[in-house]
Amino acid sequence: MPIGAERYGSRADAIAFLACLVLSLTALALPEALRRPIAGALRTTVLAPVLAVERQAVTAREQRQNTVRLRAERDSFALAAAFVPELRAENAQLRKLLKLGGRLGYGFVDAEVLHQTGLSDGLTLVLSAGRREGVVPAAPVIAPGGLVGMVASVDAHTSVAMAWTHPDFRVSAMVEGGRVFGIVASRRAEASGEMMELRGISYREGLAPGTAVVTSGLGGVYPRGIPLGSVAGVLNESGGWERTYLLRPAVHPAQVSHVMVLFPSRVRDTLTTDFDTTQAAAAPPGTPP
Amino acid sequence: MRIAPSRIKLAIVLAVLVAAHFALRPRFGPSPLAPDLVLVALLFFAIRSRPGAGAVAGFIVGLLVDAATPTAFGSSAFALTVVGFLAGWLKAVVFPDNLLVNAVFVFAASLARDLLQVLAAGQLRSGAAALLVTSPLAALSTTAAALLALVVFHPLLRGAAAR
Repeated sequence: MPIGAERYGSRADAIAFLACLVLSLTALALPEALRRPIAGALRTTVLAPVLAVERQAVTAREQRQNTVRLRAERDSFALAAAFVPELRAENAQLRKLLKLGGRLGYGFVDAEVLHQTGLSDGLTLVLSAGRREGVVPAAPVIAPGGLVGMVASVDAHTSVAMAWTHPDFRVSAMVEGGRVFGIVASRRAEASGEMMELRGISYREGLAPGTAVVTSGLGGVYPRGIPLGSVAGVLNESGGWERTYLLRPAVHPAQVSHVMVLFPSRVRDTLTTDFDTTQAAAAPPGTPP
Repeated sequence: MRIAPSRIKLAIVLAVLVAAHFALRPRFGPSPLAPDLVLVALLFFAIRSRPGAGAVAGFIVGLLVDAATPTAFGSSAFALTVVGFLAGWLKAVVFPDNLLVNAVFVFAASLARDLLQVLAAGQLRSGAAALLVTSPLAALSTTAAALLALVVFHPLLRGAAAR
């Protein structure tokens, strides 16, 4: 075939192109109730092998990091072995730093974040735990620093989480101590990166920069007390009766590699406001880990 | 039906690129700047195919990408369909052995994919910052990976044709 003819393609090429375009636009126009089963079916069939490979790669990376960390821990423990009190203190400190699970105690499942390429990564996250591991839709997704998002859909061994950076994400929030309540949503396209905004704060309630904002527990989706961020400043004032504040987020979903998905049994709990350092409520006797 | 050796060689290269995308990329941690080897594989296929085959391949790959990150299901399929078709259409000006032309081609394709995807998803306002900052850097890393793949797989890609 001459080069000129190849370059401009044939009628069959144009038809194939148009057919694919129409199918793409149809997929875009599908209602959410149809999109999720299709995406889930693709993930559990065609994509299952590559997601399994990716999961193994993530596990390998974490094992490599764990090896380095464990070597450091071993050296530290060897050094401190002669001083048992110091060893105990260091052990407790490492637990606090590394194991949020130890603090939560029960009612959660670990999951790895299978990050994908593209601009949408960070808005939704594919997690390596699904229905078989106990994950249910609308379950809160947390990291040691605070709230990451909520589970949007669940497959057998994977699930998709909507991160707080998603334009549709909302969470009921309060200032620590429970004196001021509002709604937190994402605010994108900021020069300094992704930020949150706290809406619906009464004009007479002034919040100082640095004030911690946590989940309020209202709505029955998120437990009370999960850190969301801290106040960075006033964003705008609506007619002298309401203020919107800019929040510096506690967790950036795009940088999270490991999360915990809470079970419904934890939704009514009050997790600590000092999420990183304080013990959460103890597990009831007989509760499986 | 006998399959041409050039097709088999191209299929091997594409399979290695896709496997590397999912097996190697996560080992370096989550980063929006990581090279997109699936896009590289699609472009390698499309510039050695007819435009229609490039469009169909782009649609299928895009649909699978959409399933993996279902923020706006169909947006990647739309973007990669257009990119795949244009790659096949422009193959007359993309010399498979010319590194500079390939670099410009992959860089432009990566940017075009991101722009089309954001437009199709209706996220132009929220994704503008990422398009201006993250997208060019990701396109650079993808271009570098494509050039490396061209050098490494040169013996297999030389004379390879998909159609």
